[in-house]
Amino acid sequence: MRILTIACSLAALTAASPVYAQTLNVASAGDQNMVDYVKDYLGPLFEKSHPGVKVVSVGTGPGDAGSQKIYEKLDAQKGAGASDFDVVVIHQKAAGTMVKEGLLAKYTDKVDTAKLVSSETAKNALGSDVSGYVMPMFQSQTALAYNADMLKSPPNNFVELKEWVNKNPKQFGYNGIKGGMSGVAFVAGWVYAFGGDAGKLIAGPYDAAEKARWDKAFAELKDFNKNVVITPGNAGTLDMLNRGEIAMGPVWVDMFYSWQADGKLPPNMKLKLAAPGMPGQPMYYAVPEKSAQQKLASEFIALATSPQVQADGIVKKFNWYPGIDAKNLEGKLDKAAWDKLFTDITPTDLAANAKPFPIAPYFNDILEGYEKKVAN
Amino acid sequence: MIRAASLLRASLASALLVVFAFLLFGPLANLALWSVAERWYTPYKLPVVYGTRYWEQVFRPTGDAMASLGTSIWIAILTVLIALALSVPAGYALGRLKLPMRALFMIVFLLPQAFPSVAIYINVARIFYHLGINGTVLGVVLVHAAHGLVYSVWIAAAAFAAVDKDLELAARNIGASALRTFFTVTLPLAAPGIIASGIFVFLESLDEFTGTFFVGVPQVITLPLLLYNAAMGGNYQVASITALILLVPSVLFMLFIERFLRADVLAKVGS
Amino acid sequence: MSLSQRQLALLLIAPGLALVAALFLYPLCFSLISAFTDPDGGFSLQAFAKAYELYSGDIFFTVVIVVTSCALTALVAVAIAGTLTLGENPWIVGTLRALYRWPLFIPFIVAAQCMRTFLAKNGLMNNTFVSLGLMEPLQAVSYLDWRGIIATFVWKQTPFVALLLAGALAALDRATLEAGRNLGASRLRVLIELALPQVLPTLLVALVLSFVTMLSVLSVPMMVAGSQPTMLTVDMAFRINAYGDYATANALGVITYLISAGAAILYLRHGMTKETAS
Repeated sequence: MRILTIACSLAALTAASPVYAQTLNVASAGDQNMVDYVKDYLGPLFEKSHPGVKVVSVGTGPGDAGSQKIYEKLDAQKGAGASDFDVVVIHQKAAGTMVKEGLLAKYTDKVDTAKLVSSETAKNALGSDVSGYVMPMFQSQTALAYNADMLKSPPNNFVELKEWVNKNPKQFGYNGIKGGMSGVAFVAGWVYAFGGDAGKLIAGPYDAAEKARWDKAFAELKDFNKNVVITPGNAGTLDMLNRGEIAMGPVWVDMFYSWQADGKLPPNMKLKLAAPGMPGQPMYYAVPEKSAQQKLASEFIALATSPQVQADGIVKKFNWYPGIDAKNLEGKLDKAAWDKLFTDITPTDLAANAKPFPIAPYFNDILEGYEKKVAN
Repeated sequence: MIRAASLLRASLASALLVVFAFLLFGPLANLALWSVAERWYTPYKLPVVYGTRYWEQVFRPTGDAMASLGTSIWIAILTVLIALALSVPAGYALGRLKLPMRALFMIVFLLPQAFPSVAIYINVARIFYHLGINGTVLGVVLVHAAHGLVYSVWIAAAAFAAVDKDLELAARNIGASALRTFFTVTLPLAAPGIIASGIFVFLESLDEFTGTFFVGVPQVITLPLLLYNAAMGGNYQVASITALILLVPSVLFMLFIERFLRADVLAKVGS
Repeated sequence: MSLSQRQLALLLIAPGLALVAALFLYPLCFSLISAFTDPDGGFSLQAFAKAYELYSGDIFFTVVIVVTSCALTALVAVAIAGTLTLGENPWIVGTLRALYRWPLFIPFIVAAQCMRTFLAKNGLMNNTFVSLGLMEPLQAVSYLDWRGIIATFVWKQTPFVALLLAGALAALDRATLEAGRNLGASRLRVLIELALPQVLPTLLVALVLSFVTMLSVLSVPMMVAGSQPTMLTVDMAFRINAYGDYATANALGVITYLISAGAAILYLRHGMTKETAS
């Protein structure tokens, strides 16, 4: 038993490390690049302007799963004195839930840069009113990546894609719905294309009977799946593209550009946003209601959403579309860096075919319908 | 004739060995290759550009590979201490004493390994929140100890069972107390097995991913968690480097395990 | 002596049991309750119905993967342990002894990362075969599906089973084995008919441990293969991560538990036959 006591007290010692005056805990749901963004870029920048503050960046994992983890943590600490996190970076679906359950603090009125955001996503997250609680960190978009050497004219829409896959079995790959959001986005795009009224799914209101109309789309998707490769995760799709194992697959645009810049994708890879479109989403900065560092947290977010940081960090370094309105970046960014974002997918494409995800209840119905009727 | 046949057999066996070695080390060599691949895309069979850029990235000042390694090892050591403190008495009881429902108790220690840990750890995390030890080293250590207990208890039981009863009897006959006999005769004889069980627990703790994921995040980031994040984020270079770091203790212990685990102990494990 | 040996034994085993009770049995009760409870708090099998409706294919997939992996692991481990014990060429035995244990303590997550790039269509394995002229580039297929999961499991678990088995074989009475050889039996026959029956308990234990380990691994199916079909651990994590749906996840947990109970029963039955025999 003595060993146990010693062990416990030693463990307690390691847990406590009050070296810095203040610690700001930033939790990001998402791929590793988002954690690194805070750790290597934003954190040091904030520490420079706030001496004595230490920014700790942690990641809770890719996809909605990462956000769910943050949600569970905040939910479990509802009764506790202070939450583990001071700033959270979360997906849309979780943001709606967290606001509804009172886990987030209203902070945007304390942040000047909130005026630079006019997009709908800052107010509405998949049907939930989140205005005041969130600021978009960036916007990203899914699209079909393809190998231009193997495929001269990519499909313009989902019907052409279906035909192409029939003619070229096992050359298209996506990650189902369990391995990250690019596969989820593809499935949502499929339902938009073949399941009836995309506008209704995006704008609501929710009608539980709607899902019955997707049966045909799901049956077709099940057939379609026989000729595709199911990849392990968002990165798995990119990896298979890189290794020449598939010729086409849905990917996040930002990851695509980062991988290409890192030499992990052949230079001849291109993107195509097929009609009627695939979803994109923002990531949100939010402050937990129970954070002990509310003021510091909003200062951190103010820095993160300032035009200069959005230009240098979000657009130039990490290839995301800016979270604040694009016009605020004018003069902060050279034209080449800006144009790079729109090489394959033009602003016109985006305007026509970049869709949000469906509102949360439809979203859940699609995921469950997929598991029931396509995957099983 | 006979010589030719045996030569054929030997070369066939060697060929099998080569295939075996390839399947064994191929995946590991692959890891090393990825760790120095700066650019590698189809149709190239080998990396286009080699370099140590990603090694520098992992070991950069703000990087946390070394911190995670420290955390991992520290957690593993504490886990071993707790597991041994519990398993030495339990192993003695199971290996040496008459215990009612012995098979049932053996199974109870196996249970944490038998139930898919994912479902358990979520509920453990909820309980730990109430106790305020979620996200602490202590919480992770407790979870690892419960998980590794089956190895330490089963192996300790086998080690005690393998100790010659006559030696204990002899000690008792010349007047040693039961406790003295245990500490001067039984325990030293069983020590190699117990050390081996400690090694098993140590490596189980280093290996452990799911429990840490639910109970330790975000304050406690062990090396496997770092690896997972990098791998799922598609950064195979960082994942490979982290994996190589994790390999070092694993391979070291593998090389020395037979020093501690004698055949007669092995034969009794789980029986 | 006021304590009987039984009481002492129970006293010594109590702290260990307490830890298992607190960190396993207690949360297990939580999960059982949530699996058998409907949203209103009453008893229901609703979660199981949903689990079956969504994941019947994955349940089957999981059983097939784990059973196949165990069978292959046993086969390779017996071959290795047999060669180590009965092999006559010291050079081959020595090399094998130095080689086979390498993956023993390699974490599953590391093994998964290795295999993910090794077994891919244009991975190191296929590339090597193509370079050696053993295969045409067009014949290359990806093994990153059920085969990849099985390969990773066998790769990782074989050394463990082989180590325990080789230990047990080494402890056998050499005289019987030699006698068998002298009577003209081939080494394969000596191994299968004389040696293996005596070490079957060890093999069984090693396989039971491997079986439940494979059932609990999350990282390998997640990293090596695509998500459909997949193993139940991934489905459980997904139910919780994407929906916070503890009921269905815990129902899946109970199903996996029943699968591993099958393996545990094998062990128990063996224990009982031995106790009645002795």
